[in-house]
Amino acid sequence: MRKVVLVAGGVNKWGRRAATFRQLVAEAGKACFDSNPNISNKDVQGFILSTAYAERTGVQIHPAPFMAQTLGIHPTKLYQRVENQCGSGTTAIRTAWWAIASGYIDMVMCVGAEKLLIPSHSEIFFNASAACDKEWEGCFGVNPPSLFAMAAQAHMRKYGTTEEQLALVALKNHTHALKTPYAHHYESYQKRGKVTLETIMKSKPIAYPLKLFDCCTNTDGAAACILASEEKAKELTDKPVYLIGTSQICAHGSWTLAHKDWSEWPPLRMAAKQAYEMAGIKPEEVDLAEVHDCFTISEIIETEEFGWCKKGEGGKFVEEGLSDYGGKVVVNPRGGLIACGHPFGATGIAQAYEIFLQLRGEAGERQVWDAKIALNHNLSGLGEHHIIVYKKGFD
Amino acid sequence: MSQKEYSYAMDIYPQEHGEETRLWSFFDNLKQGKLTTTKCNKCGHIFWPPEVVCPQCLSDDLEYVDMPKRGRIYAFTVQVGAIPSGFEPPLVHAIIDFENGIRIISPLVDTKPEEVKVGDEVELKVVSIPPDSHGDRVLFFFKKV
Repeated sequence: MRKVVLVAGGVNKWGRRAATFRQLVAEAGKACFDSNPNISNKDVQGFILSTAYAERTGVQIHPAPFMAQTLGIHPTKLYQRVENQCGSGTTAIRTAWWAIASGYIDMVMCVGAEKLLIPSHSEIFFNASAACDKEWEGCFGVNPPSLFAMAAQAHMRKYGTTEEQLALVALKNHTHALKTPYAHHYESYQKRGKVTLETIMKSKPIAYPLKLFDCCTNTDGAAACILASEEKAKELTDKPVYLIGTSQICAHGSWTLAHKDWSEWPPLRMAAKQAYEMAGIKPEEVDLAEVHDCFTISEIIETEEFGWCKKGEGGKFVEEGLSDYGGKVVVNPRGGLIACGHPFGATGIAQAYEIFLQLRGEAGERQVWDAKIALNHNLSGLGEHHIIVYKKGFD
Repeated sequence: MSQKEYSYAMDIYPQEHGEETRLWSFFDNLKQGKLTTTKCNKCGHIFWPPEVVCPQCLSDDLEYVDMPKRGRIYAFTVQVGAIPSGFEPPLVHAIIDFENGIRIISPLVDTKPEEVKVGDEVELKVVSIPPDSHGDRVLFFFKKV
């Protein structure tokens, strides 16, 4: 197996965009090529498009060839679209990884995009229900906010986690995003001032105990990155970022078939162990983590299952500032899904791009000091997890 | 194209009739007030959701068995935001555990949201949903005992 390296990355502006799906792809793709002048669109042999809702909100069936064409890419070895709902982006990167590691191809571009803010707001939530088990669960209107609310209730009951601890996750991530100009909420910080604990606690209820600010934001956005073999990467950059560990698990589809105690996420624990083992690292070696804060409760449970704190102490962990700059591990330095927004197919790739910047020392005001190892996590359900571990430099 | 035909492809509800699904008996049973699921006659596995092939041993020799009359709430939420088109808030979603080990996620009806507690006993309440081009449709809601 060949070693694989991240050699370029980029994002566009996320938010309520007056732009089509295809134009979002064009913007992020251009930003990605602009990040590395040694790579031309003519050099890219492989193209993977990551998108979950292209058919319902894009609107384009079979989107990959059109998006490759828009970026002047004519794949000669690999092209495809991947969909794993919220984990589509990490899935794209993993797919590119295998193709390069096997020796089949030298360079692959991954682009993720989502056009979510369509005119009818209730249709957005209809789509979220249709992405659950439509025949047996989604048909009742249940969707991620209500499902994660019940996970929050289970965690609060078992471990005494409080609504204020949930709010502290949102506060941390919105505070991080004050330094992330592409974040969905960035302009509102300028206009209305920064988000406070009071704003979060007093925000309107969505699904008890989750309030508006406990939830990530639907947004229009795209992100892109380019992966290359180690050999090829040496021609392209002197600041490579290596992919050193990964795991993926799908313990169930229907939420009724998830493990019984929703305050525990054993599939994530198992996936984390596998990724750490493959990377040859311990949990405490992770300097920064881009984890899936689709809801505040998710980040709390994730910090536990990744082994950064004891099980049940995720609330205390954020309260004590241990997931912030100066703590044990900087969790979601760009502001996470909560503050940047969550364009499903783009999220994992934007997280990888953040890691790319951080491990090259190019994250500006968001820079995590002396960052060497970073972890990226997406989930697509309580038992569906996708993890990639990255390491700095030619080793 | 009539609204009913359009809903076949685009609405959120299941296809319930013999012309559309091999699991039509599940919905026929439900229309008679009975919540059932599929049991494998080869390996004995009783599972949810119902399927046409046993997910344990892949046998297609299956029969319908009755679900227990009552279940208990493991967790619930009162959803007032992020409501999908076609639904009206508040939606009281509950995770319901049955003594045969099966878990179902379904909303509570005829129940005041403020009176719901973890551990409450619930029972089936069959509710009509919009029909499709093949006829009436129902779904399995629950209510507090």
